[in-house]
Amino acid sequence: MKLLFTLTGEQLEALSLEPGEKLCYCVPVDLAYELKEGADLTRQPARDVAERYGKDSFLIVTSKRLMTLEGKRVISNTDLSGCEKIRCERQVGCGIVTVTDLEQNESCVARVSMRQIVRTSYAVRGASAIVKSIKATGGPENAEQITSLEYETYCEKCGRALPGTSKCPYCEGKMDVFRKFMNLCGGFTGRLLLISTLMLVTAAMSMLSPLIQRNFIDNALADGTGTWVDYALFVGLTFAILIGTIAIEVWKNLACVRLGSELSMSLRSRLYQKIQMLSLSFINKRKPGELMNRISRDTNQIRDFFQDVFGSMFSVLLTMVASLIVMLAISVKMTLLSLVFVAVVFVLMKIFRHRIHVIFSRQWFKSDELSNSIQDIISGMRIVKTFGTEERESARFSRKSMEFAEISSKNETFWAVFFPILTFLMGGGTYIAVLLGGQDVLQGRMTLGELVQFMAYSGYLFGPLDWMTHMPRAVMQMVTSLNRIYDVLDEEPRIKDTKDSREIQIKGAFRFEEVYFGYNTYEPVLENISFDVKPGEMIGFVGASGTGKSTMINLIMRLYDPDQGRITVDGVDLRDVKIECLHSQLGVVLQETFLFSGSILDNICFAKPDATLAEVIQAAKAANAHDFICKTPNGYNTRVGEHGYTLSGGERQRIAIARAILNNPRVLILDEATSALDTESEFLIQQALDRLIQGRTTFAIAHRLSTLRGADRLVVINEHGIAEMGSHDELLKKKGIYYGLVTAQLKMAEGRPEAEDAGEGAAAEAAGA
Amino acid sequence: MQEERLDLLNLREFDEEAYKKESEELLEMRMLTAETATFARTEGGFLSLKVGDKEYKRVRVYLTFPLTNPEEYISIREATEKAKEIGMVESLSVLPANQQEMLREQIRLRYFMPEIRKVMELKEEYGYAYWYVETTYGVCRFTTHMSNDAVVTLGESRLLVTDIDGNRYEIPDFYALTVQERKRLDLFL
Ligand SMILES: Nc1ncnc2c1ncn2[C@@H]1O[C@H](COP(=O)(O)OP(=O)(O)O)[C@@H](O)[C@H]1O
Ligand SMILES: [Mg+2]
Repeated sequence: MKLLFTLTGEQLEALSLEPGEKLCYCVPVDLAYELKEGADLTRQPARDVAERYGKDSFLIVTSKRLMTLEGKRVISNTDLSGCEKIRCERQVGCGIVTVTDLEQNESCVARVSMRQIVRTSYAVRGASAIVKSIKATGGPENAEQITSLEYETYCEKCGRALPGTSKCPYCEGKMDVFRKFMNLCGGFTGRLLLISTLMLVTAAMSMLSPLIQRNFIDNALADGTGTWVDYALFVGLTFAILIGTIAIEVWKNLACVRLGSELSMSLRSRLYQKIQMLSLSFINKRKPGELMNRISRDTNQIRDFFQDVFGSMFSVLLTMVASLIVMLAISVKMTLLSLVFVAVVFVLMKIFRHRIHVIFSRQWFKSDELSNSIQDIISGMRIVKTFGTEERESARFSRKSMEFAEISSKNETFWAVFFPILTFLMGGGTYIAVLLGGQDVLQGRMTLGELVQFMAYSGYLFGPLDWMTHMPRAVMQMVTSLNRIYDVLDEEPRIKDTKDSREIQIKGAFRFEEVYFGYNTYEPVLENISFDVKPGEMIGFVGASGTGKSTMINLIMRLYDPDQGRITVDGVDLRDVKIECLHSQLGVVLQETFLFSGSILDNICFAKPDATLAEVIQAAKAANAHDFICKTPNGYNTRVGEHGYTLSGGERQRIAIARAILNNPRVLILDEATSALDTESEFLIQQALDRLIQGRTTFAIAHRLSTLRGADRLVVINEHGIAEMGSHDELLKKKGIYYGLVTAQLKMAEGRPEAEDAGEGAAAEAAGA
Repeated sequence: MQEERLDLLNLREFDEEAYKKESEELLEMRMLTAETATFARTEGGFLSLKVGDKEYKRVRVYLTFPLTNPEEYISIREATEKAKEIGMVESLSVLPANQQEMLREQIRLRYFMPEIRKVMELKEEYGYAYWYVETTYGVCRFTTHMSNDAVVTLGESRLLVTDIDGNRYEIPDFYALTVQERKRLDLFL
């Protein structure tokens, strides 16, 4: 994404840059925000929202200042050395840039719509880096240069929306599309050559048959000199050509179908492999289901193109051009006349195609809506039933289906009327040809055979017209799909091993150095996180939900890389550790436990396929999973996952714990690892976990704070940063956030005497009394 | 461990009050009126608030029913990450006229949803719809996906259009558009 737009000379002048002041970021600001100088605050704001789009407005970050410029007028001008903080705050449907000065006064300096919010937040991040550098070293020299890998949403050249690709499918060089296309077809060259040859042959054969007809008519029929031999020869030849054409067409179509499916299959598996390699942040940037679509819909699109369009594309074009030449040779006048007709029909088709497209997409929308509401009702069945609103829902559904039925019937009617009209028009062309050509034949200016030949060729010209109006769309669709696919295939995984990556034997010392991270550019989740973890230490992350505890763990597992700062393990930057090596030494039990399709045994052995059965049982016992596994019909061989035996959340979690125990990892990560367990199981597993934790660096998140009682240190996360850190006792003494959380839980427990926490609380109470 | 629990227990006695208070605060409908609250503009273009003896340098103004009741039950919140609610303004009309205006300014700042007055052009190309419209903010071109959540109906004749970046546009009354414009919108309805 572009972060440094060019200004005109006049605009640059308006900024009156000082010597040595460098333009760092310059991004468009698309909503006007006016400065009212000398405003009396009781009557009028000093800065006001103007309800108009910004014209030629930019947010500018130099090495010294932050400015907003409208046209040639500087609207706001802030010295970066006088700033405490600069932020891009997300509002509703827009965003604002706020500056906090050293006295903690906040002001709003710019307003942008969602179109520019991502770009703006990058520029703001750049400005913040300069502020930080000025604070630390007195100058902007050490500021980190912010760049953005995000894609634009609109093409800069043609203004069209980019379909989630880095390059515009219209404006990018034809060569690039061609390269992708060739790359796509590589390995299928033989098949392509075959198809091309077959296409040539079909085109030639279809050109041949009117020629034979003409000869027969002129030489045998018209003057009555033909013999039985001529007749037999004609019938035989025509028949042979017919059979030959059909056979070759079938062969060609089969070849196309096979090519299409094989291509889409190979693409699909390449995409699938690639997506697995790409980091979560790439996947996260995409809308849910979008990558799925790329795998399924875009590859299908390619297949359809090869099957429906590619196979006939060249032969149809070839036939059309050749026909035109022959027609011109027979009669220029008649050809021109039919061409006028061709043009008329073509334009009509184009218009109607659009109309057809509109009505069909409407029908398609409705059917989508209908299936969505079915899905809504089915997945919400429990709620619908408990509230007794079945009738209302049925009525709603009936209404939707009625609407759908209405639209479908309208569309069918349209088809039924439109199609015959079109056929009539196309017949009209031939009709005119016969009219004029017939006169010529009668007057002897043309032979009967020529007329017949002409008519046959004009059929070739009219026949594919409908298909021609459709072709540009099909090609464009293919190019778009191709681009979307290659966007993934060409994407370099952001998180990947480099040639400097190495394997290390992890001892377990971790260090966070000024780590910043956010899933979205404009919403930071963690800011300025720094702390040290000694080998073997157990760290508990505490904080309200949504504060970023799981995010911390995602960073430790290197599912994402920090936006700024770094995380080291045993002094080595995580980015320099071979990913597989890192992951093989982590034992992870997460909040949502995902089981693969396969047996329970496969799932437990996942990280250690060579484990003995005894080891597996041992691990399962330690995770308190052995008992319930024995009760399933097929024991450890029970299939779980998709279409498998359904396990409860707690059971799944216990399998995940067994998996972690078996792996005997150096570092243990427990994210709400026991949250889905009943208190009794939790208590039992807790002991197993306590044993497991011994001597390993452990990062744990738990909802029930009692679960974290073994932690050496607790890190309390609040408002994007570390609010408190220390042992349980230290934090209690501090009477801060942690203290509040603990007392709140005890308080809750009091009201729930049957819960385990309550048991503890009650015991404590008894002890206290 | 035992010792620690005792420690906790002693502390709890006094903390209970604070918790009760917080949970009650969460439930309480604290209404701000002209008598209890005074809003003022800040130099920086925001709003400050004085409630009783408490002063906030900047407060945020959130609408609770932005689409249906934009001038009622306005939630006034702290300008911190948590955005804790300070209180609600039941209706703008309970405030003095100049303060009403101040709140409206803040609402305008926070909510961006231009009204579409005229649909000059709407064309569909390969899965996207390209709009060329006149809005309350001036003329504008934007693009929506061709799916049925790009244009949703609110009530009888009100439409909400969402473009590919997430900007929202409102068509307050579909039937107030010309026949031609309505025909252009046919694609979505
Ligand atoms: N994959 C994601 N994409 C975007 N935002 C996310 C994602 N995962 C979490 N978040 C956001 O990041 C914040 C922190 O989430 P998380 O770390 O899961 O919190 P918790 O402390 O409850 O584990 C939340 O506001 C959440 O909405
Ligand atoms: Mg979490």
